[in-house]
Amino acid sequence: MSRAEKILELLPFSAATTRREFLKRSVVVGAMIPASGALLAACGGDDDDDDDTPANTPAAQPTRAGVPTNAAGGQSTPEAEETEEADEEESPEATEASGAEPTEAATEPAGSGGDGEPKQGGTVIMMGHHEIASLSPDDDGPTVHWVMTTAIHNALVELDSYFVLQPVLCESWEVSDDGMQYTFKLREGVKFHDGEDFTSEDVKYTFEFYGNPENASISASNFRSIAFPIETPDDYTVVINLETVDATFLAFAGQQQIVPEHHHSAVGETGYKSNPIGTGPFMVADYDPASFCELHAFEDHFRGRPYLDVLRENIVPEASVRTISLESGEADHSVWSLLTEDNIKLRDSGNFTTFVTSSLAVNHFPINNERPYFADKAVRQAMMHAIDRDQIVNELWQGLAVKATANMSPALAFYYEPDVKQYEYDPELAAQILDEAGWVVGSDGVREKDGVKLSFTCLVITGDQARRPEAEVVQQWMLDVNIDMKIEEAPSTSQAMAAGDGDMALYNWTYGGGSGEPDPSNTLRSDALNNFSHYKSAEMDELLDRGLTTTDPDERKEIYSQVQKLVAEDVPFLFIKFWDWFTFFNPRIKGLPENPLTTQFYNEAHKWWVDDQA
Amino acid sequence: MTAYVIRRLLQGIFVVFIVSFVTFFIIQAGPGDPIEQMLGEGAQQMTQEDLDRVRAKWGLDDPWYEQYWSWLSNLAKGDMGISIVRVGQPVSDMIFSAAGPTVRLNIIALIVAVLVAIPAGMIAALRRYTAIDSSIMVTASGGVALPNFWVALMLIVLFTGTLGWLPATGFTSWKHYLMPVTVLAITEFAILARLTRGTMLEVLNQDYMNTARSKGLSERVVILRHAVRNAMLPIITVVGYRSAFLLSGTVVIETIFAIPGLGRLFYQSVTRSDYQVVQGIVLSFTLLVVFMNIITDLLYAVIDPRIRLK
Repeated sequence: MSRAEKILELLPFSAATTRREFLKRSVVVGAMIPASGALLAACGGDDDDDDDTPANTPAAQPTRAGVPTNAAGGQSTPEAEETEEADEEESPEATEASGAEPTEAATEPAGSGGDGEPKQGGTVIMMGHHEIASLSPDDDGPTVHWVMTTAIHNALVELDSYFVLQPVLCESWEVSDDGMQYTFKLREGVKFHDGEDFTSEDVKYTFEFYGNPENASISASNFRSIAFPIETPDDYTVVINLETVDATFLAFAGQQQIVPEHHHSAVGETGYKSNPIGTGPFMVADYDPASFCELHAFEDHFRGRPYLDVLRENIVPEASVRTISLESGEADHSVWSLLTEDNIKLRDSGNFTTFVTSSLAVNHFPINNERPYFADKAVRQAMMHAIDRDQIVNELWQGLAVKATANMSPALAFYYEPDVKQYEYDPELAAQILDEAGWVVGSDGVREKDGVKLSFTCLVITGDQARRPEAEVVQQWMLDVNIDMKIEEAPSTSQAMAAGDGDMALYNWTYGGGSGEPDPSNTLRSDALNNFSHYKSAEMDELLDRGLTTTDPDERKEIYSQVQKLVAEDVPFLFIKFWDWFTFFNPRIKGLPENPLTTQFYNEAHKWWVDDQA
Repeated sequence: MTAYVIRRLLQGIFVVFIVSFVTFFIIQAGPGDPIEQMLGEGAQQMTQEDLDRVRAKWGLDDPWYEQYWSWLSNLAKGDMGISIVRVGQPVSDMIFSAAGPTVRLNIIALIVAVLVAIPAGMIAALRRYTAIDSSIMVTASGGVALPNFWVALMLIVLFTGTLGWLPATGFTSWKHYLMPVTVLAITEFAILARLTRGTMLEVLNQDYMNTARSKGLSERVVILRHAVRNAMLPIITVVGYRSAFLLSGTVVIETIFAIPGLGRLFYQSVTRSDYQVVQGIVLSFTLLVVFMNIITDLLYAVIDPRIRLK
């Protein structure tokens, strides 16, 4: 089977445009592999704290993100795939077009998808780093929870490993011309684990339960644009009216995992958290929140019984122990990152199926735009020129990261815009910009203008051994252009920045990209909850509003391209790089995707199988 | 005696109260709250309104003294509260199920340590300044000096990584006990062996040892009946006192070996500010330490009639 055929097999539902996109993207990702980076254990050499500090949460977590929400409406036909096949055999054009260097990694499949004939049976053991506190879809934020809930449940639409939304519990969906009404045609013959049929009432119940403010559910915001109640003209049709046009509707509400009305309403949300029943390929067999969750194959799953008999997640808090367990074969996969040096060791050992994807969170210095010195755009731009980001990527990060061009990760290939204002390392230019803007060097060697000194303090998370050196080199570069930057440690930097208490800080955060949604309203809008830089731009607000109310993917792509160009021009924060995320599987696990853009593909566990000869 | 016990118990309750207050205050002063842990990626979309509603649902928007008061008044009714992170589960259930592995692990480790350390310490004392003495004491010093997390990782590297004999994680078969018990026992061995040697040497220099020998008793009887018995007093005290401390040592061991015990539950709950759980565990530990101290004091009086309790 040729590689192109394998890819086609892996993309059964994709629209034709999507597959072309995919080939281009796979080259982009491939090119990043040699330059790929690990998630450095951030706090005090112990990565286990990472997800517990707010500043790290989105950073460390590769989102199961997604995308061109309306791009893949499930309209793809087998014919379309046939006709497209020819151009995909070889794709040098795609390589050139993307501007990425072809590399070994790009041509060699990272995954093992499609090797041989799938076999029935077998157990896959995964490792999470903290307890599986809940199996409810409402608590699926932490990756350790999500890997289980997504195997137990299904949603109307789900993202695949190439950031494309695929119909799962629905066969198709239609959007009215004004974008105010979504009609889902549900799949028939879908059963819950207890044998009950899945119908439109379950969708209605799920959306209305989690969307009801009285229930104070964590996912409530995903349903904010819905005009309740939801209509169910028949058992297999769901009609959802919106109060406003919401381009993020499918990415967020559409991906809500569906719970069965008859069971959830009986046990309640609290009871459901330890006793979930879904339509997914696996059902709960044994569960101890503190140590493991074991799922068994669901015989009557609508896509057919999964190949695996058992899918299990064990809790192994210590990163180095997870590495040893992978090496000894005690476990097959770690859903949470290992230590940097272990990532490099396992990758180089050649003993594992290795995926490297770009983080969606940008490693950046938020700077408080309300401070008189940062209010001057010239200062912000000059600072970008004064920082040698290549050196940070190549030396501090051992090449295991990619330089940021703006707020968006290149992993979100559909929306990523590389053609933006560039900031080469040029301290002389930086000095010149500052001079021209009236920031002259004072008697103490620090620049000043109208009595305001270019002097500020950068907050670094206490004990953050990974990022502190980054702040220190930047401090040196600032000194080179007569800017005085001090460094202070603080336990929680993002809260201080959000409250306007800090001048500057250093952490990772997602500025659009979560769940594959490019919308960064939560961080870049003037009134945003997490507008750490207190950036206020009417132009940006207008763009973001348009992005949210535009449903055509190509139009949205253009809007978010403008957003990135504006970020690059305005420099609301100093964007440095995107860390790389390593994922390892024991090579006996087959049926994994090839060159995925996101490694959050646990919703495809029904395709996995075990080859003990491997 | 009865008055003494009652007074000690009242003091104990006061200590427990102070400890719980201080713990609560520290958690409140620290950054983060339990909701953040549960948000994960959900936070991307969340509006302030929705966030406030979730906080309100768990009473996290109440002032800290109200939260403390409601915790305390529930406790008075015998209710330790519920976990916010492991949503809705009673804290008492969580502590009870986590206590099993921790208690088993500690009792086995303590027994192993006592069985090895006391004979070793006695041999070292009796053969003092010989090669046996030196090797036992060097081993014991090593046990005190080596950090237990390092020993634990080295054992895993050797027995799981290189040799592949033992599983690194989990807590279901006897094989799972070997490495964690060894690590815990090494530290205890070190402390007990040195203590045994010290007290034995002291006893051996006592006049009554010469008296016993001059009575014509055999060396075996002199050692076993007179020396060992007297030397055991401080050792028993220390064993009792250490058993409370051992529990705290398991925080690291349980995390490394992925054992679902109290230590790990405590560590996780602290990092996620799941304050009801932290409060519950601190309360349990404090009660245990207070109780063990009272028992130890009472034992003093029982074992040594010269000590009077006032």
